[in-house]
Amino acid sequence: MTAMIVVWGVAVGHPSAQGKPRKQTAPETFSARLSVGAQEGRGDAYVTIRVDRYTAPKDIDVMEKALKEGGSAAFVVALKRAPIVGHIEAGNKSFSIRWAREKPSDTGRVISLVVDSPVYFVGGGVPGAKSREGFDTAVVQLTMDSSGLGEGRMAAAAKVKPGGATGVDIEAYDAEPVKLTSVKRQIS
Amino acid sequence: MPVRTLTAALIVAAVVAAPGAQSMTRPGAPESFRANGQILGAAGGAASAIHIQIDKYTSDADHAALADALKQGGNEAFVAALRKAPKIGSLKVGNRSVAIHWARAQAQGGGRRIAVATAEPVFFAGAGAVDAKPTAGYDVAVAEFTVDSTGLGKGSMAPAAKVKAGGPTGVEIEDYSGKKIELVTVSRNLPGK
Repeated sequence: MTAMIVVWGVAVGHPSAQGKPRKQTAPETFSARLSVGAQEGRGDAYVTIRVDRYTAPKDIDVMEKALKEGGSAAFVVALKRAPIVGHIEAGNKSFSIRWAREKPSDTGRVISLVVDSPVYFVGGGVPGAKSREGFDTAVVQLTMDSSGLGEGRMAAAAKVKPGGATGVDIEAYDAEPVKLTSVKRQIS
Repeated sequence: MPVRTLTAALIVAAVVAAPGAQSMTRPGAPESFRANGQILGAAGGAASAIHIQIDKYTSDADHAALADALKQGGNEAFVAALRKAPKIGSLKVGNRSVAIHWARAQAQGGGRRIAVATAEPVFFAGAGAVDAKPTAGYDVAVAEFTVDSTGLGKGSMAPAAKVKAGGPTGVEIEDYSGKKIELVTVSRNLPGK
């Protein structure tokens, strides 16, 4: 009987008891295929992103202030002091998310995540690869529609710097962009 | 520490045991091959197109000198000797091209077993991981494959490796990643391609 309710819920878009679509938010889990294509070849991996909760505005303020006033280094310090709000899992490795924010868009949500360590140095295996110094975080952006499907991109090793139109500038280590495809919000 | 013995080691060992052996087939160089390299990890996999150009095969005399360097001085002496050996081809992955300093072919069934070595690593598989081990000492790359009489075959590659004396064959190749890169759909290019 429970299974029937779940199936019905999927079919009609998760109505709440009042008949309105239920707002999608944390806790929530996404699965995605991570792809990077370079001239040297192509790599694919499967990742799971679990957001236990979105970062409280006061914690965001602390990190943004640190970035604005102290630059990348201060931001990383503030990030590592912020509470863990989720994890990214790839293979047998798990990385802590300490910044998670969702913003509504015309078609759904844009979710931004910052990990407190790099996830992978794409291109770091080439002899003579550039220095990894300062690439102390990883940044993920997911663009999700209202049905829980979407796409995204990832700076698997990144420097978060002040600047740009939004006040936040992301410098990716990756020689090639890392794409997240087939992003799917898991039904719980 | 994962140690893998490639059949290329057998070729070296055979010559160490019998430097005058006449078992090598008539070289087919200049010739080139293309292959698809594939490696799988815990989280996913990667694939890459590989091009191998062999302008000529290593002579028995040069080969014996390399084998002797390995036997007498280990990996360091082998790498030094390999770097001094003439460039006889190239191994290309994407836009990265590395010179081949050693190439041998041996008759096998109706086809050939071919092995090549470069005097520098091509890439360090898995070195992009945050907790990757140091790359120092993995100074060569070795590829080995078989092709049948039509020029089709398969093989494997250690894109960053140490060559060591030891093991049952006398020569061992230790991959940086500890994982074998499979060379699938190896094919000999038609002359002029």
